[in-house]
Amino acid sequence: METTATGVERSSTPVRSSRRRIGSLEPWLYLLPGLLIFTAFMAIPTVGTIILSLTDWNGISWNTALFIGLDNYTRALGSGQFRNAFINNLQLIPFFVLLPAVMGIIPATMAHQLALRGGRWFQAGLFLPYIMPGVLIGVVWAWILNPIFGPVNRLLKSFGWAKPPVWLGDFTWALPTVGMIGAWAAYGFCYVVFLAGLKKIPTEQYEAARLDGAGFWQEFTAVTLPGLRGEIAVVLSINLINALRAFDVIKTTTDGGPGSETQVMALYMINSAFGSNQAGYGAAIAVLLSVVTLVGSMLILRLAGDRDG
Amino acid sequence: MVKRLIAYTLLITGVVVAVLPFAVTFLASLKTGPELAKGVFSLPDDAQWHNYRQAWVQGQFQRFFANSVIVAVGVVIPAVVLSTLTGYALARFRFRGSGLAFTYLLLGLVIPLQAMVVPLYYVLRELGMLDSLIGLILPQIAMSLSFGTLLMRQCFQTIPKDVMEASIVDGANSWQSLWQVMFPLGRPMIGTVGLMFFIWTWNEFMLPLVVNINPKYHTLPVGLMYFQDRWTANIPLIAAGATIIFLPLILMFLLFQRQLIDGLTQGAVKG
Repeated sequence: METTATGVERSSTPVRSSRRRIGSLEPWLYLLPGLLIFTAFMAIPTVGTIILSLTDWNGISWNTALFIGLDNYTRALGSGQFRNAFINNLQLIPFFVLLPAVMGIIPATMAHQLALRGGRWFQAGLFLPYIMPGVLIGVVWAWILNPIFGPVNRLLKSFGWAKPPVWLGDFTWALPTVGMIGAWAAYGFCYVVFLAGLKKIPTEQYEAARLDGAGFWQEFTAVTLPGLRGEIAVVLSINLINALRAFDVIKTTTDGGPGSETQVMALYMINSAFGSNQAGYGAAIAVLLSVVTLVGSMLILRLAGDRDG
Repeated sequence: MVKRLIAYTLLITGVVVAVLPFAVTFLASLKTGPELAKGVFSLPDDAQWHNYRQAWVQGQFQRFFANSVIVAVGVVIPAVVLSTLTGYALARFRFRGSGLAFTYLLLGLVIPLQAMVVPLYYVLRELGMLDSLIGLILPQIAMSLSFGTLLMRQCFQTIPKDVMEASIVDGANSWQSLWQVMFPLGRPMIGTVGLMFFIWTWNEFMLPLVVNINPKYHTLPVGLMYFQDRWTANIPLIAAGATIIFLPLILMFLLFQRQLIDGLTQGAVKG
């Protein structure tokens, strides 16, 4: 103890000024490694996307890049392929966003109100698909729904349906099928978020509603829904982001097909940039995809979240 | 009573629908092709473990698995350490530019990989990191930092000031007080953050798909995709490959259920 005390005292007078200078540098020393790696592999590529999107570049050697202003954007917005991909993303929204939210909120409300036992196990089982990689989900469902050796169509045939749809390979069914896979992957997540939110609603609110003679449905609209507004906003915006960015599951199940029935923006972006060597055009689609996602999720947060402020 | 019955039925159906595809896949991995054709729910007569050997050796899953482990470790440990450092700097020191640095690091929360993957590919090409594992590791550390910084800063802020000041009075400098006092106190949060990083890295698909063409550097998700393309009709073999990917995840989930659910519901905002 004594040595430390003298040590501090000795150094305190003469070295003070240099110490203070180190002091103001100190936090930056802690930040430096993180900032460097973040700048190199996040910030620079992000700015790079915007710059690249203003060029015509085949991605091979730098000196072939040509500045073309907003041409890539006008080309994308005018292209039938981009519009098709964008519309497909929009068509995924009911499946990716609304369906799992409904499939989550109903059992969560019931489990909470009836104080069901075994909540931990239900929660674990329901949440499981959410931690799984999209590729795995895609591969597993591609088998389950395979028209020749998948169990689903085998079952349907044994029930006497001679020609069941070919699901992921069918021009009409492919998109809804991909959508259902997305809903399947998300409903457990919605359940968990809603259940956590329900636990935060004061029980007096339910008691008051019951005293007023409210039934299950009235209780749901008067207490549960307003009480869950924050959670609803979070769930809807996350689901929306997943719908607009969908890639892994689609790449492994349909790869955009049949035809371009399940082509989505992310897939079109990767195919343009790397498949057909149009780095600038691909970057422009990346910017459009990001803008759409940002606007969409802000809209939902504004609509559902901020009002109770 | 009727209500309870309906509720239990609903929940049990929900759990069964969520879990069944994985259970059925695992069962399929232990069957022969003809056996599988007879039914998916039955137990295998004679467990065909050689499906795993075939996927592991001929299907290259041993290589994909090793690559996935190397990348996961290579991302998780540095990303946890760097997030601890940035979170600590932003929680402990008051200095000019701290707000700006924090906002800058948080930008990663709203920038998904899709928004930067095209130039990132060329950055990695310039650095000679295409077709390598380091080319997967460094970008994913950067992608993890936003969430890590946010959580570690929050965590260090909740540690009472006097705890930290006590260690400084004892003569510790900020570096010592970080590792001797703050780090042990922040361990639960550090664990959660590490788990999130692991899941994200283990599951990442787009980055390795774009960056590594050479199968030598494939990780499990990309490996599984090409494997599925090659063996389309050999379901038991594909199922074995799929099981190799999800078994470690299920194990993790059973061990760290609470942290995983808490972390993933908080971290869901991340791209």
